[in-house]
Parts: sequence; C-alpha cells; structure tokens
Amino acid sequence: MRSKLFNELRTLPKFIYVLAAIALFGLSVGAYRMYAGLGATTNLSKAFPWGIWISFDLSTVALAAGAFTLATLVYVFQFEDLHSAMRPTLLAGLLGEGSVLVILLFDLGRWDHFYNVFLRPNFSSALLIVSWCLAAYALILIYEVSPVLLEKSRWKWLLPAIKRFTVPIVIVGGTLSVMHQSSLGTLFVIMSPRLHPLWYSMLLPVFFLVSSLAAGISLVIAGATISYWLLGRSLKIKTIAKLGWFLPWILAFYLVLKFGELIIADETDLLFSSGMYSLLFWAEIVIGAVIPICLFAFKRVRNSRVASMLGALILIAGIILNRFDVTWFAIKPVAGQVYMPHWMEVAVMVGVAAGLVAVYSLVARYFPVYEETVTYQRPSPEKSLTAQPALPGKPAAEPGAVAGD
Amino acid sequence: MSTRGNTPRYGFLIDASLCIDCRSCMVACSVENNVPMDVTRIWIKETGITGTFPNLKRFTAPYHCMHCIDPSCVSACTVGALTRSEEGIVKYDKDACIGCRYCMYACPFEVPNYEWNQRFPQVIKCDMCFARLGEGQQPACAATCPTGAIQFGKYEDMLAEAHRRINEHPDKYVPHVYGEQENGGTATLYISPVPFEELGFPDAGTTSPAFSNRLVTEGTPLVAGAMLVGLTGAYLTIKHQKEEAEKERAEQTTGEE
Repeated sequence: MRSKLFNELRTLPKFIYVLAAIALFGLSVGAYRMYAGLGATTNLSKAFPWGIWISFDLSTVALAAGAFTLATLVYVFQFEDLHSAMRPTLLAGLLGEGSVLVILLFDLGRWDHFYNVFLRPNFSSALLIVSWCLAAYALILIYEVSPVLLEKSRWKWLLPAIKRFTVPIVIVGGTLSVMHQSSLGTLFVIMSPRLHPLWYSMLLPVFFLVSSLAAGISLVIAGATISYWLLGRSLKIKTIAKLGWFLPWILAFYLVLKFGELIIADETDLLFSSGMYSLLFWAEIVIGAVIPICLFAFKRVRNSRVASMLGALILIAGIILNRFDVTWFAIKPVAGQVYMPHWMEVAVMVGVAAGLVAVYSLVARYFPVYEETVTYQRPSPEKSLTAQPALPGKPAAEPGAVAGD
Repeated sequence: MSTRGNTPRYGFLIDASLCIDCRSCMVACSVENNVPMDVTRIWIKETGITGTFPNLKRFTAPYHCMHCIDPSCVSACTVGALTRSEEGIVKYDKDACIGCRYCMYACPFEVPNYEWNQRFPQVIKCDMCFARLGEGQQPACAATCPTGAIQFGKYEDMLAEAHRRINEHPDKYVPHVYGEQENGGTATLYISPVPFEELGFPDAGTTSPAFSNRLVTEGTPLVAGAMLVGLTGAYLTIKHQKEEAEKERAEQTTGEE
C-alpha cells in the first residue's frame, strides 16, 4: 500500500512539487503570522488596515464568478452546448472561493472568533453579507462539484439523487453569487471619505457584479486554451466562440454604467485632472473593457483560440487592476502614509495561489474533470467528445501532441 | 432606513485654544484602561509649527472617538462588536470582535486603531469611560486635563457652551463647532482658533456614510428575492418553450407519416 502511494507520487509531474513547496512555505509564513501577530508580519497600519490579501480576495472572487455564470447559463437559460465547460469551471470556482476563505483566516485579527460571524450577525454590515454568501455558496459549489468526485467512487449511487436537485441548487447558488459579488462592492459604499471619487459610487455593487460576469467568462475562455496546451484537452471552438460573444455586451453595459455614473455625479473633470488616479482609471478601463470589446466584437477573434485567450487574459488583467484600485491604489493616503505589502504578506498570498493551482491539477489528474471536454490528441477531435478519462498513467501533457481544429 | 440614533445624553467639548500639549489625558487614558502609551484611545492632533520667527505658533488638540449619532463603524461591524448605547456611547465588545478591521476603514474620522503587535489584538477606541460614568465620575481624560481643554457633561450643555465661547470671542475662534454637523452630528464637539483642516481633522461630510450603506445592505435581501423569482421564472419559461417546440416537431413528423 505504502509503496503504491510512493510510486504514484513519483509519477506526478514536477511542477506539482514546485507548487506544493511554494504553498507549504506560504502556509508556514501564515502560521507564523498567527503566532506573531499582524504588526510583525504585515505592513498593515491604522491608515491602511486592509492590504494585498483583500486585493487578492476580491480579484479571486471576481474570477471565480465563471462558476455561477456558466451554471446559470447552462441550467437556467439552458444553453446546453456550454455544458462541456461546467466541470473545470465549477472546480476552479470552488478552489477560488476556498482560497479566499484560507486567506481570510490569516487576515482576521481574531481568527479564533470567526464563528461570531454566524452567532452574532450584524445585518447592516456589507462584510456580513459577503461572509454569509461566501460560506453558503462554497457549500453549493461543493454540491455542484460532488458528482466529479463521486462518479468513480463507491458512493456513485448518490448521483441520481444529487442530479435531481441540480436546477434549484443552481438557482439558489446564482442568487447567492449575485449577492456575494455585488456585496464586495457594497463594502466600499461606506468608505466614501477614503475611496477616490473616480471609483466611489453607490453603484459599486453593480459595477462589481457586471465586471465579475466578464471576468468569470474570460477565465473559462483562457482556461480552455491553457488546458489545450498543458493537457491536450479543451472546449470545442464553438463553445469558446459562444462564450466570447457575451463579453462585448457585458463590457459595453459596464462602460455605460461607469461613465453614466461619472456624468450624473458630475465628476467627469476628474477623468483628466487627478494625475496618478486618472492614469489608473484609464488603464483599467482600456485594458479591462475597451480593448476586449474591440477584440471580441470580431467573429474572427472569437473563432480563434489564441486570439480569444489573449483577449480574455487582457480583460482579466483589467478587472484585477480594478479590484486592486478599489482596495488599494485608489484609497487616499492618510497624512502621507501609503501602503506597500510586507514580504510575508506576499509569501502567504503566493503560497495560497500556488496551493490552489496544485490542488486543481491533482483533482484534474485523479477525477473526471475534463470528461466532457474534447481531447486534441487524435486527428478527429469532433468524434472524441465522449468520455476519455484523464487519469491513467501520465496525463496527456505533451504540448506538441495537439492537433488543431 | 432613516437616520438612526437619538440625541446623545453626554458630550465632550474640546477647546483647542486651551490645549497645552501636556498629554496628561493620554497618561490618564493609559492608566484607566491599563494599556501602554502607544495604544491609548486619545491622542494629540497638531498644526505643526507655523509662522515665521519670532512669531511662531503651534496649536494642538486632544482627539478621540467622536461618538457619532449614526456611527459608520457600528453599521460596518460584521458581528455587532461595536454598538451605540442609549446614552449615545459607541462601545466595543472585544469578545465579539473577529478582527476584520472594517471599522477602521469605515470611520470617517480615522479613529479606531488596532493592537498590531498582539497575538489576539483588540480594536482601540474611546468608550467614554462608561464604567466611571456609572460611578458618577468624569471620563479619565476630562477629569485629568489641567487647563479645562476637555470638558464633559450633558450634550446640550456642551453644545451651548461651544456656541457661547465662539459668540463671546469671535476673534479667538473660527466660527465652526466641529462635530455639530459632521457625519450627521457627534457627541464629541471641538472648537478651535485655527481652521480644523490645519489641525489635521478630516473633512467629514454632513451625512453619515452609514446611511448610504444601510440603503444598499438592507436592499440586498429584496434583490435576492427578486433574483430567485426571476431565475425560477426564466427556467420554467424556457423549459416550457423548449417542450412546446419539441411537441410541435413531434406532431409534424407524425403528420408527415
């Protein structure tokens, strides 16, 4: 038994060991932070009580939005042809939300009191809504991912029962996600004295929700092409093109909201007069919305794997910049004090992110995550849509062994 | 969703023209709350040295929690560790606090601080020495201040006294009671010989951000309800349409046969 495990470990690709080492180091630093307190291990201060961990959380949650967006499209709006993207997206969503929970545990000053979130709720707090929705939605994601984990196990008799409730669960999950995504924006509604007016708005919850839809879909598109290179498995180009079709509409709506709000609030002069802030604002607008709209408006881009992936990555970068702006760069300094993260903060964050990728890779290796995706190892990709277990032996990791479509 | 909170029962009146920067208030706060000097709940704001030699000037003022009528921190607190009492005192419950530090960002006056160097830290903020009030004593800082720069009493009396001083000495004070309007009104009131921004006081608006916050957070369950109904409706409608289309197709094929 032990030697079997040992053999299995030996067959794992090297990058998993590298990721695991980074994750282990990050988690050790996190444990030290719990022992030594926040002062010795972070650069958080009275002026900047939240740091890069919160920026990471907000970015990750935005990217995890693919899970509920796709689930709602497939099960509620019944775009059945998008179903093949479900499993990788749900798994990424679950691990994303999970990594946010881990980071939050390190971030909380009194992590030993975390249960008070459930015992002593204050319902006017946006952070309470965020926490409850995060916890409830994580459970729903576990439910939605469970068929992947159970399919090959002796509990597979549970599957019909689980699948019976999929639609109501997806509807509840979608609702929780909408609240979860938007409430992250609500967090900053009370911070009007601190957040720069180019970002501050009562509509922040709507901005966050709409941009998370675009970020989530983009992660599915980018992930499909990255797994095409790494694992030789991907989505059909038709599926990718269909997902890409949504992006210009969502982003155009986002731009209308953003600039409409600035015009109504009579803050358009700030667009050019706020120096560094103006620059950051335009950077996130151009990278996160304008360029992706221009790209995904073209059918040729949507129908190309590489172009779609590039467009999706640009969009993701723009949305991440937006989350960093709202949580960090656009927060006005107090008495000239600015925030730069301590190396330990960065180490914990990178460690958790590495752990996320490692766990994802391991689950994808041992469970039928990519079952419905297309294998691009044989010349006739269209016919190999059916089950092609991703487990035995080495995964199809030869990047050269892909055939185009 | 209206502005919450009654008129505070107690209030502070802090007169920057009387402060001599002796920091007795900080020592008193440290002793009363049994904390080191770097985490006292009151500290000194100052203008720095202004003017040209030999006419140099420097103004200081003790600064602590404003005890807002509609406190942002109370609205923001995830777990209700911060509450506003009937008397208008904003209190902190260390046993409820989870250490999220949202109150620090929410406070428009940059008041709450944190015990950064503790393994199990607490939020640092003034609680008006409510234990002393129960014994009929003044808060430690007000009882200690040797120049009377910190006065404590009934809120109405403090407000009236602030206006009386400004009216009697318009040459000595700027005509502004900081805290009368700020953030929708606070129990701590300041008067000063120099504009408050020179003392480093934040430029707080006249309505509390707590109000906008409640507007959104209390509307969230309604949005969630609408989402549930909307998504269920969409699912049933689309399913019905698909079934109808299916039936039609089936009928057509049977008709052809």
